[in-house]
Amino acid sequence: MLNVGVIGLGKMGSLHMMNCLHIEGVELIAAVDQSRKALNKARSTGVTHLYSDYHDLLHRPPPNMDAVIISLPNFLHLESIALALEAGLDVFVEKPMAKTAEECLEIVNLVRKSGRKLMVGHSSRFVDAIQKMKSVLDMGYLGSLETLTLEEIINGPFAHGSIPTPVPEWWFNHEKVGGGVLLDLGYHLIDLFRFFTRGECRVLFASIDHKLNLPIEDSAVAVLQSTDSPTKGIVNVGWYQKSTFPQFNFRVILHGSSGYMSSDQLVPNNVYLHAIKEGAKNLCRRIIGKRIKPLSYTYFATAYYNELQHFVECVMHDLEPSVSPEDGLRTIETIEEAYKTATRTTS
Amino acid sequence: MEIMGEIVSLVKTQSSGEDIREAIAKALDLIDFKSKNNISSVVIKPNLCYYWNASTGYTTDPRLVSAIIDWVRDTHGVDTDIKIVEADATAMKTKHAFLMLGYEKLAASKKVVLLNLSDDNITEKKVKIGKREIEFKIPSSLLDTDLFVSAPKLKIMRNVKITCALKNTFGCISSPRKIVYHPFLEEAIVGINKILRPDLTIVDGLVALGHHPVKLNMIMASTDPFSVDWTASRIMGYNPSRIKFMKIAMAENIGNPEGITTRGENIEEFQRIFPKEPVLSLNHHWNLLTRLFKLYAKATKDVIHPSLEGI
Repeated sequence: MLNVGVIGLGKMGSLHMMNCLHIEGVELIAAVDQSRKALNKARSTGVTHLYSDYHDLLHRPPPNMDAVIISLPNFLHLESIALALEAGLDVFVEKPMAKTAEECLEIVNLVRKSGRKLMVGHSSRFVDAIQKMKSVLDMGYLGSLETLTLEEIINGPFAHGSIPTPVPEWWFNHEKVGGGVLLDLGYHLIDLFRFFTRGECRVLFASIDHKLNLPIEDSAVAVLQSTDSPTKGIVNVGWYQKSTFPQFNFRVILHGSSGYMSSDQLVPNNVYLHAIKEGAKNLCRRIIGKRIKPLSYTYFATAYYNELQHFVECVMHDLEPSVSPEDGLRTIETIEEAYKTATRTTS
Repeated sequence: MEIMGEIVSLVKTQSSGEDIREAIAKALDLIDFKSKNNISSVVIKPNLCYYWNASTGYTTDPRLVSAIIDWVRDTHGVDTDIKIVEADATAMKTKHAFLMLGYEKLAASKKVVLLNLSDDNITEKKVKIGKREIEFKIPSSLLDTDLFVSAPKLKIMRNVKITCALKNTFGCISSPRKIVYHPFLEEAIVGINKILRPDLTIVDGLVALGHHPVKLNMIMASTDPFSVDWTASRIMGYNPSRIKFMKIAMAENIGNPEGITTRGENIEEFQRIFPKEPVLSLNHHWNLLTRLFKLYAKATKDVIHPSLEGI
């Protein structure tokens, strides 16, 4: 049994908390949030140790706690990770690993010293469609990979869900958030470029825009070049599009010497029929006493469950997570390079 | 005998700055709008309830507000004190909306003041709608101004079907947590309109929002917000007499549909272009779908995606 705590019960933290309840062998024992409502929700799921300040948990964690999921604002990642590692806990941290490469490097060193495991939530790698595309590419069906097109254009953090909820103020603070859409969505796409090319990359071109007049960028286009192969990637991200759940304007296209494959080919034709079908399957699973497949009604959000399950397996069986702290560092380094390139371009 | 009711003007524009100014002037001529003399302060209330810009059909286009400012200065003098106002909402902070939607730039270029009504002095007022007594915090700037211009957007809305002039006045309530009014939203919309009545409503129909956004290229104007909503409902494909808050408004004498007259363009032209909600749209069946989803989540204990949290 793996005893887990969740720090931060915002959108992603709540999602991770609820996913934990479906992972075999996980016992959710602690939760941290400043909101009493969020803590009450955690209590209702059976969490016994509740805190309003993560320092209280990390300075004196329950003796049986093994791992922690950190889902705090970006500017608190470094400090909370350091405290968790010091407390001897394995860590799953929501992306980005930290807001700067300097902070990421510090985390990489802390992880090495601690001997604990740290996995960053590079959830896009765990999207079913991406996994399928990777295996098709690895089987050689597409020939040599020449170009990738990677796109994610969505509402961004400034749009609320079905029920109006305030946008946390740190999203409007450059110092605290560390960057804009490149750090938020570009992070996933740059990671996917590294994932598909199995190597590092550099930035050939980057253009960033501030359509929303905020100090952080809300749209960006970047061209990546693999350092190990001739493969190039075009990254296109934006927070400017009004989209409604379950629509998800995300796609990856792999262009190879023998063919191409788009993630759009793996998306259900009718997302609503898909939701009904998957919902019915889960109902049947529940009726016959089997585990459900959480979030399968969304077709893309199962990735959050898959990544957490992978982390749990790695901790329980002492395996190395497929997403390393170095992956987090390299991704942030590329983003910082894009910021520098974009600055040169605009100047 | 024909009853002479309120007048609503409908004017077409090509959406460029100059065209919008001309369209506003024409729309006001058509309703024979005569401002009071000695206007020294003007408040303009756009609809900025989200952080999505005007092209999405959710928020008032700053170009429309810019044209209203020009009209005010042409009519009442360049020294007229003009404020663009909005109040915080549950999920929207006015200071961010002003910045993100281009109003800070507009205010700087036009040298007008931006005012967050949630920071204004307030007067507490109670009204009775049917058997329900509702309390509102009213920003003083709206009570003290010489001319109150409402600049709503023309759009459909899941909870109350349509949102235009009467709902834009609801956005003036000082309290940010307007969600507290949502259990009785229709009564609250009518309640606030019993207290606050814009002198003039100029509707942004440049991009309207139906099933999807559409360039309607329309300006609508009237001195009567009820008549604006009556006409807006017809454009958006709803029978206004079947919209709950319109029915309550009639019962509370906020407006009278008898004899509402449209002048200018033919309403059918805009009705034809407006993308009405299909019968099978999610919005029409939202309550049923959310109920089914809740049952599903309860039965399977499946995880609720953050976008659906709280339904």
